[in-house]
Amino acid sequence: MLAERTMVTNIVTALADETVESVLNRMRAVKLRMIPVVDADGMLLGVVSTFSIMKKVLPSYISTGDLDQISYAPDLGILRSHYREVAKLKIAEVMDSKPLMVNRDESLLAVSAAMISLNQHEHAMVVDENKHLLGIISAGDVLDHLREEGANDA
Amino acid sequence: MHNTQEHAALAIFGLDPTWLAVSILLVVYAVIMAEKFNRAVLSLLGAGLMILCGVITQQQAVAGIDFNTIGLLTGMMVIVAISQKTGMFQYVAIKAAKAVKGSPWGVLVMLSVVTAVFSAFLDNVTTVLLIAPVTLLITDALGVRPYPYLFAQILASNVGGTATLIGDPPNIMIGSAANLSFYDFLVNLAPITPVIFAVMLLAIWFMFGRDLHASEEHKALVMQFDENEAIQDVPLLKKSLAVLFLVIASFTVAHQLHLEPASIAMFGAAALLLLQTLGQPLADKDHAYEGIMAEVEWTTIFFFVGLFIIVTGVEHTGVIELMAHKTLALTGGDFVATAGVILWVSAIASALIDNIPFVATMIPLIQSMGPTFGGPEALVPLWWALALGACLGGNGSLIGASANLIVAGFAQRAGHPIAFLVFMKHAFGLMLISIVISHLYLYFRYLTP
Repeated sequence: MLAERTMVTNIVTALADETVESVLNRMRAVKLRMIPVVDADGMLLGVVSTFSIMKKVLPSYISTGDLDQISYAPDLGILRSHYREVAKLKIAEVMDSKPLMVNRDESLLAVSAAMISLNQHEHAMVVDENKHLLGIISAGDVLDHLREEGANDA
Repeated sequence: MHNTQEHAALAIFGLDPTWLAVSILLVVYAVIMAEKFNRAVLSLLGAGLMILCGVITQQQAVAGIDFNTIGLLTGMMVIVAISQKTGMFQYVAIKAAKAVKGSPWGVLVMLSVVTAVFSAFLDNVTTVLLIAPVTLLITDALGVRPYPYLFAQILASNVGGTATLIGDPPNIMIGSAANLSFYDFLVNLAPITPVIFAVMLLAIWFMFGRDLHASEEHKALVMQFDENEAIQDVPLLKKSLAVLFLVIASFTVAHQLHLEPASIAMFGAAALLLLQTLGQPLADKDHAYEGIMAEVEWTTIFFFVGLFIIVTGVEHTGVIELMAHKTLALTGGDFVATAGVILWVSAIASALIDNIPFVATMIPLIQSMGPTFGGPEALVPLWWALALGACLGGNGSLIGASANLIVAGFAQRAGHPIAFLVFMKHAFGLMLISIVISHLYLYFRYLTP
């Protein structure tokens, strides 16, 4: 089974110069946790997720320090003030600019292996030779596909 | 000091081994200073060249490695890697901040004292790596800028590290080479460090402390920190504290028992590794051991190994002895003047370059002054001058010590970067004051007839 037959092509995207706040609003409206960031020609620049935005909101001395846990700290209002700063940033400043990219003719086996082994991506971006975004495959899409195939076999 | 006569190495192409050795040392030190490559890789390359170019044989190179320094560093790194998981550093830092009811100046003093005390017994980098993030959390809670706190912490870690044999790598190297015990350091260096520390805090009060203010609301937020939550593993905490206590207690009596500190540190490390995983299945034990071993800073250890070999190569050619004679010629063979020169040159050099290679080179240099001043015993005040200069000099600039750079890294990530020149403007003068105090201390305690 090829990537292009599994991928979802009906995609909501963000543009690099949109603010984090407006992109978050759109994500909330369509109930998505992750959306790709493209330029005006539809070329893939990166992906942005609620998780990656939350990581930005967390002070980096916490996310990258030697603190195993900080359950001893009360709420300091740091998150709220950081959130206000991050919300105003351009999406290009918070996106992950190295998303998992796969070709349209890759096998489902290769795609799922890449999702697991390369930094645990939950989504794979299907692109053409010029990095134009064609579709997205999520872990759920893979599982759905396997279930349908099983049903057809029976 | 080494068995150099067995079978001498032959320099390649009939080159003069002295020039070869000195060139290797100078090039390696210069590239280390440029900070474009990892210093451990450079020192190992230099060490390899010393052997490959035929300055020394492999046997001579290995004999030149001070395994007491290596063992002590590795042992303490293992012990710290395990004990830091208990959360005891965070516990003490929060407890200290709450003890002064969140007063901004009080918090600064307390966190500095905690940093100084931990730095005296554990390595400075680990100490600031664990205290700096907690400091940033607390300054965020207080709504004050973190710079004065981090600035004070950098100074505290270097001053605290000066106090004991195990506080700072230069002290470990000096103690090992000059056969000075933990107790010797405690009696000779520890008394002056609180004085230096107090003078620095006084200066920081005038520079920043009197302008630090926080509302009652913010102070109340500090009081909401729950230090008990920081302790994650009570059984491990007990084991770590017991081993730490026994290791440090053993250091103080090691000399009478004819034990080297490395043996104690390595035994303590092995004991804590065993205790840490007691009662777990073998697979979990192995997993835990591998995790701890990975946390040992092997790059630092190999940096030392390479450095010892490079210095052995140069020492072998007699250049260091020659430099010692030149230094003595400059000071007219006067002991008081020589001690002063060692103190000040070490301080300025350590502010600007890595103090570890500097001390590694200075050790054989001072050792070869022995005959002039009447044997190794007479040199002891010179060792204190080297230790005070090399450790306190680290305060002179942001690149003076690794701990400084770690703190600066945290400040950067917290959105309050510490500029190189701003730090130097504040710190260099304080460093000079600390050296003046050290000079007076050395003079009145050791150099007056």
